[in-house]
Amino acid sequence: MNGTKRRVAYGMLGIFIFLCIWHAAATLTNLGRIMPDPVTVFVRFFMAFIEPIGTKTMLFHILTSLRRMLIPYTLGGLAGVFMGVLMGWYRICDAAFMPYIQMLRPIPPIAWIPLSIVWFGFAEGSKYFLIFLACFFTIALTTCDGVHSVDETLVRAARMLGARDRQLFTTIVLPTTVPYIFSGLQVALGSAWATIVAAEMIRSSEGVGWLIVSGQDVGNMTQIMVGIVAIALTGLLITSMMRGVEARLCAWTIRGK
Amino acid sequence: MRMDNKRKINESLIAFHGVSKTFDKPGEGRYEVVRDLYLNVQENEFLVLFGPGQCGKSTILNMIAGFEAPSGGELLCQGRPVEGPGPERGMVFQNTALFPWLTVMGNVEYGPKVRGVKKEERRKQAQHYIDLVGLQGFENSYPVKLSGGMQQRVGIARAYCSEPLVMLLDEPFGHLDAQTRYLMQDELTRIWQVEKRTVIFVTNNIEEAVYLADRILVLRNCPTGVKAEYQITLPRPRNYTDPEFLRLRREIDAVVDHTL
Ligand SMILES: Nc1ncnc2c1ncn2[C@@H]1O[C@H](COP(=O)(O)OP(=O)(O)OP(=O)(O)O)[C@@H](O)[C@H]1O
Ligand SMILES: [Mg+2]
Repeated sequence: MNGTKRRVAYGMLGIFIFLCIWHAAATLTNLGRIMPDPVTVFVRFFMAFIEPIGTKTMLFHILTSLRRMLIPYTLGGLAGVFMGVLMGWYRICDAAFMPYIQMLRPIPPIAWIPLSIVWFGFAEGSKYFLIFLACFFTIALTTCDGVHSVDETLVRAARMLGARDRQLFTTIVLPTTVPYIFSGLQVALGSAWATIVAAEMIRSSEGVGWLIVSGQDVGNMTQIMVGIVAIALTGLLITSMMRGVEARLCAWTIRGK
Repeated sequence: MRMDNKRKINESLIAFHGVSKTFDKPGEGRYEVVRDLYLNVQENEFLVLFGPGQCGKSTILNMIAGFEAPSGGELLCQGRPVEGPGPERGMVFQNTALFPWLTVMGNVEYGPKVRGVKKEERRKQAQHYIDLVGLQGFENSYPVKLSGGMQQRVGIARAYCSEPLVMLLDEPFGHLDAQTRYLMQDELTRIWQVEKRTVIFVTNNIEEAVYLADRILVLRNCPTGVKAEYQITLPRPRNYTDPEFLRLRREIDAVVDHTL
């Protein structure tokens, strides 16, 4: 417990020093012309909860982006887990789908923008598609790894104790796979949230990505920085929430470490 | 003579009748591990299979458990051919094979649970065996938190909780330190005397074999079969330094194949 407190304290200290250097650089040197100081950025950020940027307040921007991310993230997660289990359990599925996954995964989401606009239009569909791609492959691959890591002697033990096929799946294969799924979900959550900027580059009028894109259009440096801060803080919040859920559901692996 | 043999097979709980087992090893071709094995296990006896490393001891247990099918001959449990694993043949694994995501209670009640026993009943049952192996107070611990000896106690309770006809123990104390090993041998003897079961215990430790067994079968090197048989009638609890114990130990050790 003491160790965790100390970690947090050092973390805070690090951030504080960083902000001080940033502030000094922006106010005392020429760098101020290309970089607003942190006080301005954070004041604008918190003000934005009351005073809209564009037509919407900050909370609305964040919630819009979260919704844009969570829907395809959920779909990508479900599809990824499904695909991963299929590939992990049935050799033939592995042989059939693995090459595609290995080929498509390294393509960055931005590369899909033109195609996604043609296929899904300028509205939400194309944004969902990009974020779906950002999580699907990762989750499918980690889930597949999880299924492959099932311990043969545990399967034997379960069979000996009377487990039938379906029970074998729910009581042995799934619990083995859950930590893998979670690490996949964790990584995918990061990339899905990171992809939000790319997704909102396709015409949008709100969202944290839009803050950056429109900030660039009008040359408003503070607004760009506010967008970055919004993405960073929200990202931190959702990934730590995810860790909390993981700690609960995978208690045995965490205690084992 | 034939009739006699037949009846003996039908009366015994487990019967190997000329069983052989061959594996197809990739790159090495066929590999015969068990050849023409005859073996009868009587009810409530403590049988020890004693043999050198890699001679096929686990293979014999795996066939009884139903994890591996014999390549030839007949393997009967209660007069019926063994077809696949089942709760009437409970295995305690060499590497414990506990479910790491389940607590001690979760592990022990797993068997009754998958077989559809009501929660209240199976909890009572599991608690009984947890108490029997001396793990009361650790019901909610995860296996990783337990010492090797305690993990094997969970393994024993888990197998016992399905109330098997026969317990198969595959070098369960092989990974334990000497002190814990002696303790667990005593514990196993005590448990076996409280809850009588047929036990087939595999070991490559002669002292352990003489300490535990009603009957010892000495196995030969691959392809394995029974080389010698000993009835151990020493009263329990036994003493490792008793002259008769030491004499038996020496006698059996003399027939063991020490060649590599
Ligand atoms: N599934 C299998 N496929 C191929 N070969 C196997 C298989 N199972 C066992 N063997 C081989 O059979 C031989 C005997 O193995 P087994 O595990 O039964 O011996 P053991 O007496 O239990 O050994 P140990 O003392 O190490 O526990 C070994 O050479 C092993 O490589
Ligand atoms: Mg073995």
